[in-house]
Amino acid sequence: MADEKRTPSPMDRVWDFFISVRLAIFTLIVLASTSILGTIIEQNQPPEKYHQIYEDWAFALLDRLNMFDMYHSVWFLLMLVLFTVNLSCCTIDRFPRMLKVVRNPRTKLDENLEKSLSLSDRWKKKGTLQEWAGKYSEALSSSFAKPKVTEVDGQVHLYAETGVASRFGVYVTHLSIIIIFIGAIFGNVAGFKGYVNIPEGDAITRVPVRGGTQVQDLGFTVRCNAFSLETYPSGQPKAYKSDLSVIEGGREVVRKTIVVNDPLQYKGIWFYQSSYGQAGGVTAQVTVARKDGTPVNTLALAANEPVPIEGYGIVRGVDYSENFQGMGPALQVVVEKPGQPAASFWLVRGRPDLDRQRADSLAFSFGGLSSKMFTGLQVAKDPGVNIVWLGCALMVIGLIMAFFLSHQRVWVRLAQGTDGRVEVVLAGSASRNRLAFEKRFEKLQTGVKATGQ
Amino acid sequence: MSNVILFNLTTFLFGVASALYLGALYAKNEKIGVFGTWVCILAAVVSTAALGVRWYESYQMGIGRIPVTNLYESLVFFAWSVNLFYLVVEWKYRNRTFGAFVMPIAFFTMVFAVYNDSSIQPLVPALQSYWLHAHVITCFVGYAGFAVSAGVAIMYLLKARQEEAKISKGVVGLLPPCKVLDELVYRAIIWGFPFLTVGIITGAAWANYAWGTYWSWDPKETWSLIIWLIYAAFLHARVTRGWHGKRAAILSIVGFLATIFCYLGVNLVLSGLHSYGGG
Repeated sequence: MADEKRTPSPMDRVWDFFISVRLAIFTLIVLASTSILGTIIEQNQPPEKYHQIYEDWAFALLDRLNMFDMYHSVWFLLMLVLFTVNLSCCTIDRFPRMLKVVRNPRTKLDENLEKSLSLSDRWKKKGTLQEWAGKYSEALSSSFAKPKVTEVDGQVHLYAETGVASRFGVYVTHLSIIIIFIGAIFGNVAGFKGYVNIPEGDAITRVPVRGGTQVQDLGFTVRCNAFSLETYPSGQPKAYKSDLSVIEGGREVVRKTIVVNDPLQYKGIWFYQSSYGQAGGVTAQVTVARKDGTPVNTLALAANEPVPIEGYGIVRGVDYSENFQGMGPALQVVVEKPGQPAASFWLVRGRPDLDRQRADSLAFSFGGLSSKMFTGLQVAKDPGVNIVWLGCALMVIGLIMAFFLSHQRVWVRLAQGTDGRVEVVLAGSASRNRLAFEKRFEKLQTGVKATGQ
Repeated sequence: MSNVILFNLTTFLFGVASALYLGALYAKNEKIGVFGTWVCILAAVVSTAALGVRWYESYQMGIGRIPVTNLYESLVFFAWSVNLFYLVVEWKYRNRTFGAFVMPIAFFTMVFAVYNDSSIQPLVPALQSYWLHAHVITCFVGYAGFAVSAGVAIMYLLKARQEEAKISKGVVGLLPPCKVLDELVYRAIIWGFPFLTVGIITGAAWANYAWGTYWSWDPKETWSLIIWLIYAAFLHARVTRGWHGKRAAILSIVGFLATIFCYLGVNLVLSGLHSYGGG
């Protein structure tokens, strides 16, 4: 054709650049090798840490190249864009051609096609064209696939194929990558990731967004009822548990104890057990009751922190003893009433009724020390995640189609020979795993040949 | 514990099998190779039993869990996978010369394992998930495929050099023709690649369920992506003129070196979320 001799226009050259597999190999290798850098240089650390590791000039250079957050840098994202453009252009260039070939297969086994096929066989049969065409059709149907029959110029062509899907495998795989990218971008734009610490008994309605100064409103309240840590007998951690409540419109709508690998989800927002720690100091649990035993209040006394009791006075926990006068753990409290000197006395945990003997309107008992914990939760909303999983599923399907299916094609041509016998040609080809197809073809060959004898 | 005794026996058997395959190659004696195959099969039985016993023993200790959760267990599981993968290849291609290049990988993995802590430890909270099984098993089957591919790629490079010089003498002369080796380098990867892909996906799904992010560019994740990219480049190289054979074989070896780094280097050298794998 005349077109081919013309020098390609700049546009054609750009297009040829983007549809080349060489570019794909190049991009893949460059992505792989640059990705290594971000694993050697620790990412997203505070600047002070980098200053400790690097000289000033090195820090300035690396910072300039965005090496401290390289996977989100413009140059890395541009490479991903190049990768995606390459992928898309390859698909746009090749997919329609492949579709055409699949839709309009070469159903006729002409001389040229026959020469290009490595697997073929020929023989002669007595009888009529139609008779043998029918017999071989049946043989192919039962042992391979139902053939398409074409009659042209006094010849009969049979064409049968299996595993056409294998031709689509590569496109499904490429499409899956684009879908994953779409899901990732959508999730980044429409979702958020945050982290929050909630002390036991406290509740939150907002979460600080990670890596920024923004705060995300949840639209509901999350309360941490309790946090607990379980250990194996050896002392290694076994489970971190947070008892969480979701409160909406003033009432508890969900309650769940979450552990690592078992998060809480409410209205598309997920709460993951991530960390824990001590919230504030140790407190002493003190129960207040009247002389007759009716309970009034339970106090959590922090060391030396005055706690008022209405109509009574101020209570303070001032000292603690593991073993007070051989009676076990005890708490020393000081009570200050208006206009009276402060009174100091000990409460023994093992003898809760002992304090009733003290001449006073209220009696106290010590329930032990407890430290208040906080739970650290990762909070995430990612509406793109299901798109990502769809992409992942497609990728696996695409790879299986591409690697483990093979487009196998078989042709039979029947022609009236000069000697009055029917000349038969059988030929086949496979898009991949030719060794396996050779065996299948041999079997088919013997099967088809033996038909009608 | 009895599982460790069985694993030590496995190490010995892998060593014997490697020696037999190498011996068969040098002595040009097929019978020695046949003996090697039987030792491999015996090693497969012993190591499978060892994994089963270890699993059972973990239940007896009251911390029952699958034996693929620390460095020692992952090493023995990797060697177990390589051995099985190799036996399938040998059976399919009816050629024992591969053994001399693949079984030493299994043997040295086990030798390395023996120097690591073999005690059964309970699972830290982060690992208590059903995703663990799918994630670790698929990753290691993928790694095993890459190991076999790299072993054959070395054979390819040796053979290709000789074919270029048009000699067919010596030990290398016994290797299968370049065409067969090239094909096998490729076939091992088309098994390894989907498994690695599923391994990465299950890892992402698990990370999403445990931490709320399916991808955080943690060194282990990034290295698994690096391997994936290298083998993706390999698969594209195979269909491109000028990238056949030698370059593809080199990519396969580079890919396996990256795999080893992803598996061991990341835990031993870099820090990140997979720190429990280093213990």
